[in-house]
Amino acid sequence: MMWRDVGVTLILSLILPVVAQGARHTPPGKPKLTSCRSPDKETFTCWWEAGSDGGRPTTYSLFYHKENSETVYECPDYHTAGANSCFFNKNETSIWVNYNITVVATNALGNNFSDPVDVDVVYIVQPHTPENVTVGVLEDEDGPFLRVSWEPPRKADTRSGWITLIYELRVKLEEAEEWEEHRAGQQKMFNIFSLHSGGVYMVQVRCKPDHGFWSEWSTASYVKVPDYIPRERSMWILIAVFSAFIFLILTWIITLNRSSVKHCLLPPVPGPKIKGFDQQLLKKGKPEEDLLVEYLEVYVNEKQELMPEGKDLRDVGCLKSKSQSDNDSGRGSCDSHTLLMEKCGGVESKDESSYEEPELLQGQAGSWERLERGDSQVVDTPDSSDARVKTWPLVFSPSIHGSSDNHHYGTLEMPKQHSTSEITYSVPDHLFPTSTSFPHHHHPEYRDSLGEYSEYRHSRSPSTGVLYHWEAQHHPQAHSNFNIRNLERQKEATGLGLPPSRSMEYVEVQKVNQENQLVLKPLSSHGRGPSQVQFGRAVVDYSKVNGVNNDNVLLLQRQREMAEAGQYCDYREKEGAEAERYPTQQQGKTTKDGPVATQLQESTCLTTSGYVDTVPTMPTF
Amino acid sequence: MVLLCVELRGSGSASAAPICVHGQAGCHFLSLADLFDRVIQHSARMHSISSDLHSEFEQYVLPSRNHIGRINRHCHTATILTPNGKENAQRLAREELTEVILKLLVAWKDPLWQFHQNMVHQDDFNNFSSNKALEMSYMVHELRKGVEKVADKMQHLGMISNTLSGLSSPEALDPSSDTCGESQAMSDHDLLYCFRRDSNKVQNYLKILKCRIVPENGC
Repeated sequence: MMWRDVGVTLILSLILPVVAQGARHTPPGKPKLTSCRSPDKETFTCWWEAGSDGGRPTTYSLFYHKENSETVYECPDYHTAGANSCFFNKNETSIWVNYNITVVATNALGNNFSDPVDVDVVYIVQPHTPENVTVGVLEDEDGPFLRVSWEPPRKADTRSGWITLIYELRVKLEEAEEWEEHRAGQQKMFNIFSLHSGGVYMVQVRCKPDHGFWSEWSTASYVKVPDYIPRERSMWILIAVFSAFIFLILTWIITLNRSSVKHCLLPPVPGPKIKGFDQQLLKKGKPEEDLLVEYLEVYVNEKQELMPEGKDLRDVGCLKSKSQSDNDSGRGSCDSHTLLMEKCGGVESKDESSYEEPELLQGQAGSWERLERGDSQVVDTPDSSDARVKTWPLVFSPSIHGSSDNHHYGTLEMPKQHSTSEITYSVPDHLFPTSTSFPHHHHPEYRDSLGEYSEYRHSRSPSTGVLYHWEAQHHPQAHSNFNIRNLERQKEATGLGLPPSRSMEYVEVQKVNQENQLVLKPLSSHGRGPSQVQFGRAVVDYSKVNGVNNDNVLLLQRQREMAEAGQYCDYREKEGAEAERYPTQQQGKTTKDGPVATQLQESTCLTTSGYVDTVPTMPTF
Repeated sequence: MVLLCVELRGSGSASAAPICVHGQAGCHFLSLADLFDRVIQHSARMHSISSDLHSEFEQYVLPSRNHIGRINRHCHTATILTPNGKENAQRLAREELTEVILKLLVAWKDPLWQFHQNMVHQDDFNNFSSNKALEMSYMVHELRKGVEKVADKMQHLGMISNTLSGLSSPEALDPSSDTCGESQAMSDHDLLYCFRRDSNKVQNYLKILKCRIVPENGC
């Protein structure tokens, strides 16, 4: 028994593989139709893929039947289109007919049917690639461009209208990565612009029927673009040239209008202006007819050039305005407050503060001091009398307080403070012109308010004519007028600073005594010449100018000595007074009053009535 | 010579000026080539709409239906003999080809209108599709009129004979009297399928006709 079992198993184990090997052959696997395509809508081809073959040689066959027909046909051509394909020729192809296609795989053991596929040829058209693709470089005014032309695939009949193809092309530079695609529609030609000069382009074309699939891309066509200057670059060159041109024009215009541009951008700072100051007139230095008044200026030292010559009435105005503002505009350098301060070393008296702007004569205040202290040459130093001193200040400072010309006068009060017995004035050189201009000055129209003239002997000191020496030997004469305006202003000051007992009088310079002192004599209202001016308003005290000392300082005499003025004059006249003077002198002598107004022009006698006007009530010219 | 001033609406564009055959004053003269181009454009648009509708139907509506028996599809226009290939189409005379076109167009007028009416009441299609169906039916009507004008012009130009005059009778062209039963049995899917095909036929036939008669451009 056991042996039989073993033998059966042995036999079975030997037979089974053989049997099994025979059982591995199965019917073929199921084939599958992959695609059907028609290149021209007249024929078409179907392809399938085989399933497992089942170990046996398997044959495939394709069967089809048309819609609404039961007749089954087999594929007429298995070979034209290659393996596993079926080609339908024109006779067997019907358009707008639905094909039901099935592939059958058959082997010895069986067969297998694929899934059926419905095919309508109209919708499976995929043409071949376009043919004769040509690319050329053409030129126009904008630069070169590519012209691509092609032909439809040979099989597609577009000429009869059976197939309508639309085309598409793509372009790229050889080294570029992405294509640039263009639809060309039904045309068979296309232009490509905006090329890179010197580049190599690749072009490809494909086509598609109006209802179908795209063809494959044609083989690439290469084309080289020649070198050229692109229009864009030339446009930039044009823009650069144009901008440079505009820039040049602008520069030229600005250069032409340089001054006005500068004026616009950097407006000029206005310079100092002098109100009422006529520079032209100042330069000319006219002392003639306008020389109605002159300042009798007292100045400090030799080096000081206080006032320009020929200052006229307008300068008066300038001085008038001096007190109002402290700026230097409108004044000569001699009038400059700061200048004077510098030169005098800043000598100021305590009372200066009470005066407004003791400018002009501030320095002179220092001179006062100097004169007081060290002027030993002053021979005659009369006691300081308030009256006399006062009168002099009144000449120059009629009002202490509120006058606009306060400064002018105020400073002259300082000698009062210093109690100089003798006030010496240094007549600036400007008033007494140099010898060169002496003839000019020699016969001035000397009209002051009183109609009286004063003349001073004038000699130039060895120093720069700062001080005047009243010397007989030189006898240069100079006439100076006193500031009429000052006289006017003296009106205001009449009641202010004068002692009631004092009255303003004109001072007459009678002569210069031996000590070179200007002898002044108060005037009386009568006994004057036709040109006299009556001033009966106030009685003023005049102080006599005793003379000019060596320092060219005008020395004033006390009043009490005025009576002697006539003597001096008489004395003088003997020395060389002119004949015409005599009558006047006689008058002066007899009356002992105020000196007679004389025409000063030819007179060399200082005793002729010259006086310092102190009365502010002088009638105006 | 009968002077016709008709208004041809091709491709949905309205031309205000009447078309005169012989170019009289006040009429806008259109050449035959222009007429053909207009008609062909119109037919192309008609076909594209039908394709869209068919694809929409297959995508959204068919899966919900257990549709079987696709092989037994019958188009109601199957009775109209139409050339199925290029040679067959080229073998036909101009007049016959024109006649085929007109027959097709006439055959589809009512079914499309019916289809549109059915679509409004059904949930299968959205509003956009129903608008397309409406436009489709309208286009068929317009295209037919356009082709008739082309045929008239060709007859006037002597290109075709006057055998087409019999086509204008509605009984000869209207297949509904013969196939009324078939058109009713057609399902929507079959209708769309059939119309898509027939619109393609019309377009193709017109192109062949044009390239045969006026082959200036596009052929």
